[in-house]
Amino acid sequence: MKKMVVLIGNYGSGKTELALNFAFKAAERGERTELIDLDMVNTFFRLTERGRLARLREIRVVSPNYACSGIESLSVPAEVQSAFAMDWDTVIFDVGGDAVGSTALGRYHQDFMELPEGSLEVLNVVNIRRPLAGTVEKILRLQEEMQIHGRLKITGMINNTNLAQMTTDAELRDGYEMIREASEKTGVPVAYTSGKRELLERFLAEGHDPRFIGTPLPIDTYMQRDWDSWVKGLGGPSEQVLFTSAGG
Amino acid sequence: MALTLMKGSEAIAEAAIRAGARFFFGYPITPQTEIPEYMSARMPEVGGCFLQAESEIAAINMVYGAAGTGARVITSSSSPGVSLKQEGISYCAGAQLPCVILNVMRGGPGLGNIQASQADYFQGVKGGGNGDYHLLTYAPSSVQEAIDIMMFAFEKAEKYRMPVLFLADGIIAQMMEPVEMPEMVDYKVDPEKKPWACTGWKPGDDPKKRGVINSIYIDTESLSVHNEELQAIYAEAKKNEQLWECYKTEDAEFIITAFGTVARVVKTAVDELREMGVKVGLFRPISVWPFPYEPLRETVLRDSVKAVLDVEVNEGQMLEDVRLAIEGGKPVEFFGHLGSQFPTTGEIKSKILEMKEGK
Repeated sequence: MKKMVVLIGNYGSGKTELALNFAFKAAERGERTELIDLDMVNTFFRLTERGRLARLREIRVVSPNYACSGIESLSVPAEVQSAFAMDWDTVIFDVGGDAVGSTALGRYHQDFMELPEGSLEVLNVVNIRRPLAGTVEKILRLQEEMQIHGRLKITGMINNTNLAQMTTDAELRDGYEMIREASEKTGVPVAYTSGKRELLERFLAEGHDPRFIGTPLPIDTYMQRDWDSWVKGLGGPSEQVLFTSAGG
Repeated sequence: MALTLMKGSEAIAEAAIRAGARFFFGYPITPQTEIPEYMSARMPEVGGCFLQAESEIAAINMVYGAAGTGARVITSSSSPGVSLKQEGISYCAGAQLPCVILNVMRGGPGLGNIQASQADYFQGVKGGGNGDYHLLTYAPSSVQEAIDIMMFAFEKAEKYRMPVLFLADGIIAQMMEPVEMPEMVDYKVDPEKKPWACTGWKPGDDPKKRGVINSIYIDTESLSVHNEELQAIYAEAKKNEQLWECYKTEDAEFIITAFGTVARVVKTAVDELREMGVKVGLFRPISVWPFPYEPLRETVLRDSVKAVLDVEVNEGQMLEDVRLAIEGGKPVEFFGHLGSQFPTTGEIKSKILEMKEGK
């Protein structure tokens, strides 16, 4: 049976990184895989930038018209329909951030509804270190808005809490607590907990309730930025010594 | 305090709100559209006003009006949009209105491209609009630094009654970094502290307390007096508001000058060169107006320093100020790119090694 995974969530929650990880793992299992870049709201950091990595794994990539060409007006290509019309084992939709980005899904409402029962997963990627997902209330509000705009019911949440290069053990743990509360309030299960392998293993060893962990998903990083090679001091308050002419 | 993972645009917008900004007027343009987007959601939550103007020109004139009431006002745009704002910026400077203007620089001239650039240095620090005016101009090199500068930007703007300009770039706006966000400042317009502000005057009130926000001085005498006042303020700002960073410059044989994001590439190159035994340091102006001429001169004229390399993503704009500071005291070379490509640590290292070998 064809399996479809739709990844939605707050800007910067890690949807694209997860989309690549899901797709690459599916391809490793020998599945016929298609990746759909449906981000219609952000010009930068899109899945299409890693299209070559996907194609090397014989994954088909569908991109918005003019993506990565330096032009800002994107349009949805007719080719997205191939997700439904063609014979795939796994199709992954990487959707733009927030409710605005989810709107792009509405166009395919009928197609999604016609999928066989149980073949569609709509996953809300949550990183509680992002400001617009920093409280249970914010997570719930965002989830509700994305469901309305995307015309799809969210079937699971992903705890992908991280602080980029500065991620520590506290991130997944704090994410777990908050997402557990959101899950209990909405009845939407936690489908996956994802993170760098060693962080994830330490988190799992802490013995949390597996019902709010879901499937552990160790991830590799593919969406490195150019600046990852030269950004020093990582972020946060810096220890650099500054001078001022007023002497203070 | 807990760290949050924030995109530069969001962080700058949130910091402005925490610093007391309650009015945002702007118009979308890549790579800073996330700033108005964030403001549109956040301003109503704090009782502020977000207004998407019909153009950049309208937006800056709304800034003029709102700043005239003493409120903390901000606008943001990217290079071509900031060009459109120049007339209004000159008016704000002439009328001595404190406000904050963000330029998230992209490639130019004209529409250029949407990638990060530093080619608006001249526009920012050498004028841009008409008349003898300056803007307090800051070039942050990290998301956290952009937040930290924002937290004092309004105070500086109010202290000198002059607009503050941020020269950020597409990388700062788009990159996501863990940051610490300061607490909200409780700002209210205080007519005692801002006697010039238009906070409400009715017939019968003291005519002297009537605020007039204006940049026109018809007769030569009064315009001259006004300009002399402005110049006295600028002289004071030049004296007090220079801000810079020295990184491993104490024993350096080569000093690299760079501002904004490029300085971070340079910092990494400095570390890597030091590991190779090359004594090199970074001098980074954070305030590019006022430019830290004297501190740079002192740093470079030390006996240990053989030469200076200026690195920018433009044709060498800050280079002019670097040369003015050094006054021919040491050789100055330049390395830069023009199409919004950022220099790599490898390129900077090669350039320094070439200079060391005397090529």
